[in-house]
Amino acid sequence: MGTLKIDRVTVRHKEKVSIKNVSFEAEKGEIIGFIGADGAGKSSLMHAIAGVIAFEGEVRFDQHAYRSPKEAEGVKSLISLMPQGIGLVLYDLLTVDEHLRFFADIRNVPQDEAYHTYKTRLLKMAGLEKFREFRAGNLSGGMMQKLSLICSLLHRPKLLILDEPTTGVDPMSRIELWEILDQIRREEGTIALVSTAYMEEAARMDRVLLFDEGEIIAQGSAKELIESVREMTYLRTPEAPEGTITTLERSYSLLPLSAEHAEPTLESLFFVNALRTNRAPPPVEITRRDSEENGNPVLMEAYSLTKMFGPFVANDRIDLQLKRGEIVGLLGANGAGKTTFIKMLLGLHSIDGGELKLFGRAIRNTDDRQALKASIGYVSQHFALYNDMTIRENLLYFAAMRQIPIDTALKRISRYASELGFSNYLDSVPTELPLGINQRFSLAAALLHEPAVLFLDEPTSGVDAIARSQFWELLSALKEKWGIAILITTHYMSEAEFCDRVVLLREGGKVADDTVANLYALHPDARTFEDIFREYYR
Amino acid sequence: MKIGVIKAYILKELTELVRSRFIIMVYLMPSMILFLFGYGIRMEVTHARTLILDNDQSPISHQLVSKFEHSKYFDVTLSSVSEDEALRRIKRGESDLIIIIPESFEKRLLHAQPTQIGVYVDAAFPSRGVTMENYVKGVVLDAASSVAPGLAKGIIQINQRSLFNQAMRDEDAIVPGLIGLVLLVAPAILAALLIVKEKERGTMFNFYASPVAKAEFLSAKMIPVFLLHSVNIFIVFLWAVYLFEVPFRGSFLLYWIASEFYIIISLSIGMLISIITRTQIVAVVLTVIITIIPGFLYSGIIMPISSMIGMSRVEAHIFPVMYYNHILYDVFLVGEGLASAKTQGYLAILALYGAGLLTLGSLLLRKELK
Amino acid sequence: MTKIFWAIVGKELIAFIRSWQLVFVVLYAFSVEVYIAGSGIEINPRNVAVGYVDLTGGGMSQKILTRLHAPEFLPPKRFDSQQQLSRAIFNKEIIIGIVFNADFEKNWRGGKRTQLDVLVDATAASQAYTTLGYLQNIVLDLSGVNLLLEIASHKLFNPNADNHTFMALTEMLSIITMLTVILTAVVFVREKEQGTWDIMLLMPVDPKLIILAKSFSQVIIVMVGIVISLGFVVFGMFETPMNGSFAAFMVLSFFYVFATAGIGLFIAAVARDVMQVAQLSIIIMMPMIFLSGAWTPIHAMHPLLQLLSYASPLRYYIEGSESIFYRGTQWGDLWPYFLGVTAVGGVMYAMGFRKIGRLF
Repeated sequence: MGTLKIDRVTVRHKEKVSIKNVSFEAEKGEIIGFIGADGAGKSSLMHAIAGVIAFEGEVRFDQHAYRSPKEAEGVKSLISLMPQGIGLVLYDLLTVDEHLRFFADIRNVPQDEAYHTYKTRLLKMAGLEKFREFRAGNLSGGMMQKLSLICSLLHRPKLLILDEPTTGVDPMSRIELWEILDQIRREEGTIALVSTAYMEEAARMDRVLLFDEGEIIAQGSAKELIESVREMTYLRTPEAPEGTITTLERSYSLLPLSAEHAEPTLESLFFVNALRTNRAPPPVEITRRDSEENGNPVLMEAYSLTKMFGPFVANDRIDLQLKRGEIVGLLGANGAGKTTFIKMLLGLHSIDGGELKLFGRAIRNTDDRQALKASIGYVSQHFALYNDMTIRENLLYFAAMRQIPIDTALKRISRYASELGFSNYLDSVPTELPLGINQRFSLAAALLHEPAVLFLDEPTSGVDAIARSQFWELLSALKEKWGIAILITTHYMSEAEFCDRVVLLREGGKVADDTVANLYALHPDARTFEDIFREYYR
Repeated sequence: MKIGVIKAYILKELTELVRSRFIIMVYLMPSMILFLFGYGIRMEVTHARTLILDNDQSPISHQLVSKFEHSKYFDVTLSSVSEDEALRRIKRGESDLIIIIPESFEKRLLHAQPTQIGVYVDAAFPSRGVTMENYVKGVVLDAASSVAPGLAKGIIQINQRSLFNQAMRDEDAIVPGLIGLVLLVAPAILAALLIVKEKERGTMFNFYASPVAKAEFLSAKMIPVFLLHSVNIFIVFLWAVYLFEVPFRGSFLLYWIASEFYIIISLSIGMLISIITRTQIVAVVLTVIITIIPGFLYSGIIMPISSMIGMSRVEAHIFPVMYYNHILYDVFLVGEGLASAKTQGYLAILALYGAGLLTLGSLLLRKELK
Repeated sequence: MTKIFWAIVGKELIAFIRSWQLVFVVLYAFSVEVYIAGSGIEINPRNVAVGYVDLTGGGMSQKILTRLHAPEFLPPKRFDSQQQLSRAIFNKEIIIGIVFNADFEKNWRGGKRTQLDVLVDATAASQAYTTLGYLQNIVLDLSGVNLLLEIASHKLFNPNADNHTFMALTEMLSIITMLTVILTAVVFVREKEQGTWDIMLLMPVDPKLIILAKSFSQVIIVMVGIVISLGFVVFGMFETPMNGSFAAFMVLSFFYVFATAGIGLFIAAVARDVMQVAQLSIIIMMPMIFLSGAWTPIHAMHPLLQLLSYASPLRYYIEGSESIFYRGTQWGDLWPYFLGVTAVGGVMYAMGFRKIGRLF
């Protein structure tokens, strides 16, 4: 099996050039990471290599050279593409098992003993053995991702193209996934092209390509790339001069700062690149809210909340309190019941047991909720935007629903647009945009009416490093200045450290509820929060 | 062609059809339409709500009224309201027809003086109006000849013989036409969603990125629809023959083959729509617009194609319904079968039509992102 | 509240206009389809192909044949034998065949009982019926019998029994129904599919208002379609009479479209995706349209079906529209139609609200 050679590939979408004259090569068994800001052209290049979109230039893989999707037909049996988007390639009505059979069949995989062993291993790796009879439509977002992934591995492809395969996937599964990938490339000599927003993953790849505005601006091993920005990385210095980007963890500057240097990560690349191209995001500024909220400091109280889906207990007697000015992280593996719990709090699912109080008011029916809606903000896992309207129109529409005066709305939209970095996309339609960009609008939409409580279901999945750091700055500013209460789910364990309190769910039940510091104290061996998380899932 | 691939897709489609309960639609809709329309549509105007103002109240006028009362075409209400009030009732849609028998009706007739019966027909629905008018004339004539038999002399009597449908049963005329309608609409609507659904959902990637060939994909999409609806050919046949007791005089083989061709055509129409549209809603609306109403209008149930002019005539010849229905009426009511050159020609047209649509579909289907 | 209402309506209209394919299909339906139905479909005898076999020497038979002229009849075509005639009827070249037997002329002249044999293609039943009636009149007229009894017949509202306007109108009403049901159902089910419905439910707005506004937006689309269809086709091309009040028709249409949007809402509430919407709307719509009295008289249907037709708002709409256009019925007499349409619509909305219009 040969090598992959990309020769001056250009991809256009209508008038816009998404990828400009990109060339690179990959050797047998190599895992190449695609990283870069959302909208940098990673997906377009992947589509071109997979032969599902027209392109200019030439791709050569394993003796085949192709310049169009038609010519690529011959290699498609060797390639596997997992496109970006949660559960995009799954059929809601088919079960997990049926998906595996379907994908094996359309790839002509003989279903012999070896196949069954391999399949069982994949299922086990994805943690889906227990869900084999479940329909894809009833799986959680992370489980859908894992299913899509193992479906794309079934025929042991020689060229594996994975577009953000781990978005929304829990840390445990991500580790397992990487083990599988590692094994496949060793056994089969598979070349894997993987784009990701998790930099811990990028660090494990043989080579990383950094994309920006349709070009590869840097490449090398993770180590080499990290070294390249060591000079510009400093410890967090809030009072830094102009031309500095300061995140919750570090500061970056092209000019020397008086502060001490910090250990850079792959994320640092993004910030340094933003500085180099003069695209540093504006600092997050929150003005004090006019009306100070007083009264009951406890905004949400759940006692023994239970949710059943048939015989399946999705949430088992969960108690949770949420106070003003508090960020609570709701963590757990895929399918642990996080989304179900949030939906129950919102009233999108019926409550099968227990009691719920919002703003001190017991919730029994839809009328109890009506008055409280104005104080609640929500971002769903499958971000919900209208696909036939531009982003600006979407946001204005949500503002109108919230009865926000138009000029106030416009002001807030442009502020969030520059802070979260989506000003350039305001006039695009959601379907044309990458996942990470869409995720930012959903956030902006949830913040427009300046709610008192925010329920965020994986708001940062698939969002690039800069936008995530801006987002967390925003959240902590909101918490401090407005005393907003936030319940957030995430699969970035590093983000858990920004939370005041962390609640861990496992198989529908609550297994931990404490501050990050206390949890570290309880688990003295843990170096990162991910280690703590793994403790609870052993 | 890789049979395994096609089989996998077919299995997937069938599973989805069963789980989405679309399968109910596949078997419920054609039969339901056949029932409702078979029992519901009557070309013959019966039970016209008739208001008779008998201002004479004589033996002869009573005789005339009873003629109307004994006809299945009229539901008679005798009334003594004023003419104006009667007209108002028609205006309010409470009556279809008013018959006014004048005063001294009998006296004038007996004295051989001419007299006039006033008839007011609601012609808002024109053909119904004309038909009712003719019925009234027929009844009056009939009454006249029974009162004065001498009148019948010199009248040319029309001795009507209906070909193919001696009893002039509405069922015989309508039910075969309905088969042409349901076998057009049902496969088309099913096929119309199969591809565009995957485009909208994103699962189309599975086709784009896999070595599945266009022909395999199309066959896999069409075969389930084809097989499912092939069963309908037999179901609707059974309803027609055993429930509606439509005679079947032709060759079953011809019926079967023509119907299979026809199903291929209608599902190809759906598939074409599915290929050219971007969203499911457009696909649904388009399919409904171009199948339901033309399927009905050009089925021959309402009017023969030979009486159409202009655009309708052209459209009727473009749609496959006309050709198929000709064969349907033949196998049910006539039984000439392939002996007729016209039937042969129409069967060939159906086959070509299907082949043409299939070719067009595979030319238009793209295996790449737009 | 009203601001939110209009924001929703505006948003839906924008979404509609953005889908050029959809705009095109809707415009096509309201214009071309209505025109085709109105211009070409004729239920009265027209262009009826007549064939004859004349075994007499002419005379009366020729007199009868000359009466069969355009536009009702195509020039009669002569056949040599009855067999040839039957064959032509089978091939749908001829619909009515007249056979003048050898003794036809003799009998008639002799004042004897005279019979005229007529062969009818009964697969075209409706035309056959009307054509026969027509023929009957011609023959009666030619017989020259003085019956004394004259039938003074008046075709009210549509004296020429003009079918074009009627067909165009019927087609338009059918299209209104189909589009309203499907467009509304899809608007709601798409929100359910994309997850935006959850977001809408969480907005500090009464979900009933959202539902009404969304339905209303589709009502506007269809009302614009109605105006286009009326202006360009129904009045523009066919000179349809308007004996009643135009305003009354528009108001009735508005009520009807709103009620029918309720059916769409109900379908969306029970359906999970567009696929199910398609299936349900066809199952509900086809009987609604064809059994409403638009194409076939209600009073001739099976009694059970007649009863069922009361649940169809289209029944009230069609009767109401015919009354306004042709019968010139006044506002005061139209209340049953308004009542019927409103009642059906009310039930639909109530069910829709219950099903998707609330949080737990």
